[in-house]
Amino acid sequence: MTSKWTSRLIIGLTLTFLIGPFFIIIFAGMSAGDFMTFPPDGLSLKWYMKVFTVESFRESFALSLFLAIFGTIAALILGVPAAYAISRYNIPYAETIKTVVAAPIIVPGIIVGLALLRYLVVPLSFTVTLALFMAHTALVLPYAVRVVSSSLNNLRSDMEEAAVLLGCSRIGAFMRVVLPNIQSGVLAAFILGFVTSFNQVPVSLFLSGPGVRTLPIDMLSYMEITYDPSVAALSALLALLSVAIVFLAEKFLGFSRYV
Amino acid sequence: MSNAFVSLQKLSLAYGQTVVVPELNLDIREGELIALLGPSGCGKTTTMRAIAGLMTPQSGKIHIGGVDMTHTPANKRGIGLVFQSYALFPHLTAFENVAFGLRLKKMPVSEIKSRVEEGLNTVGLSHLADRKPAEMSGGQQQRLSLARSLVMEPKVLLLDEPLSNLDARLRLDMRTELQRLQRATGITMIFVTHDQAEALALADRIVLMKDGVIEQVGTPDELYNNPASKFAADFFGFENIFAIKGSNIIGSNGSLTANFDAENGHLAWRPSAISVGSGPFQGTVMGVSFAGEQREYVIKTDFGQIKAANPAADPVYEIGTLVAFDLPSKSAWHLPNVGNDS
Ligand SMILES: Nc1ncnc2c1ncn2[C@@H]1O[C@H](COP(=O)(O)OP(=O)(O)OP(=O)(O)O)[C@@H](O)[C@H]1O
Ligand SMILES: [Mg+2]
Repeated sequence: MTSKWTSRLIIGLTLTFLIGPFFIIIFAGMSAGDFMTFPPDGLSLKWYMKVFTVESFRESFALSLFLAIFGTIAALILGVPAAYAISRYNIPYAETIKTVVAAPIIVPGIIVGLALLRYLVVPLSFTVTLALFMAHTALVLPYAVRVVSSSLNNLRSDMEEAAVLLGCSRIGAFMRVVLPNIQSGVLAAFILGFVTSFNQVPVSLFLSGPGVRTLPIDMLSYMEITYDPSVAALSALLALLSVAIVFLAEKFLGFSRYV
Repeated sequence: MSNAFVSLQKLSLAYGQTVVVPELNLDIREGELIALLGPSGCGKTTTMRAIAGLMTPQSGKIHIGGVDMTHTPANKRGIGLVFQSYALFPHLTAFENVAFGLRLKKMPVSEIKSRVEEGLNTVGLSHLADRKPAEMSGGQQQRLSLARSLVMEPKVLLLDEPLSNLDARLRLDMRTELQRLQRATGITMIFVTHDQAEALALADRIVLMKDGVIEQVGTPDELYNNPASKFAADFFGFENIFAIKGSNIIGSNGSLTANFDAENGHLAWRPSAISVGSGPFQGTVMGVSFAGEQREYVIKTDFGQIKAANPAADPVYEIGTLVAFDLPSKSAWHLPNVGNDS
């Protein structure tokens, strides 16, 4: 009896700590007052409306969207062939390569950001946008390799040989036979990469410069100056967007198989 | 050059350090139907893969149509292969699986359509043209894989156990169909099988392999009636094989004094050549089983076990009975001592 209540308590607390902040944010954004407080100061949707009128939010949202889409595409262009090589050929040190590829998620983002700033942006005078693009590509790459690898491992290699004997080149066999059979894995990797890139803070923190900021960074600096509930409203909107994407992915792809 | 269409010369095949086929020589004429027969793991699939160009031989040459193709890429050899594992494309329908190679050839759409339909019809799958492989039974997948290779009309078609997953009836139908197609098109075919009856029924010549080495090559008649080794004899149904020394049988448990025509080597009998009921020798029935036309006996004797068979209509000897039998000299097959075959 006791253990039953204990486990219920633990589950309850866990859920409260996991999901609680989410509800606090949603309601904090609905405040009718001018400051972020909880419980909210009356109810209104005015801050949710205001989010769309802030110029810097619009710009940084565009940048974040750009990085998330093209950074992830770049990571897939690099990651799919890498995953293919690792799973199909008996390459030496395959495990080591996988670990090295995963380095950007293991090494703290602050360090990655600092390193990129110190050795790329400053000495080579890379533009901030280019550095951000490279950083996001590198961060998403491990997910791309992992997720695509797992769907490649479920694919028999004899069908590529069959395609070759029917007249395909090896690359042709990859395009016509392998890609169509791993497309849901690639899509899953894209979604995971997109969400990862979009929510990324520490690396972008170092690389953001004046006028070039990703959305999370922009929200941070907005809050330093203006402590109004619009940041809470925006956070709530972003969280809902992420949830919606993952929900759709799970529904149509069985997303959790890949992660 | 001889008139060989496919010629394997001193072919040596290995996976890394593991040599599977040490040295293989084989000449196949154009339009010939060859059965590659041998126990599991003897290197049949490996040999097929080498001919198709899916693996590079360690040494030796592969000539096809008089051209050295040892280093020609697989997609340039004009060879078809029906995989033991089918290797169908899971994302394509049956129709598209068969059309795959034809589309690559940039054939007109109308011709592709008629060829695919003909191909599916040949293997009896017209009604499943819109199914994906995952929605088909094992035997249907196997036939689909066959159709996919057939429509390409390759110069040489390799079939790795193409009928293994079919029921007896369908197997017979497909066997006949394959033979008809082969005669009609003149395609050179090499097919792998475990089943000696299938090899005997279908092939112009049988290649019998053991541990990566060819034991014997010959017509079905030759292999069935004149097996050259103990292994070949055993494979083709001589289930009673005994060593002979000075006209006596040396069995696993002892010897049998008799007056056979042979001085040494082995004597072999098919079960059907040994009948139970009368004869100079005796043994105890250990097992009896009904096999349609005949009843098969396992008999324990002083010198080893005997497999015998009587017509099914004859009286039954129950397990444990002491029975008489004969090892008739006239139906014995004599294997002289050859090479390492002891
Ligand atoms: N990829 C591989 N790596 C290492 N050894 C292999 C590989 N494929 C096959 N072998 C070995 O090579 C030998 C021959 O294999 P092969 O597949 O040619 O046999 P097979 O005659 O086709 O047998 P079956 O009738 O069971 O299909 C076997 O001993 C097998 O263990
Ligand atoms: Mg095999």
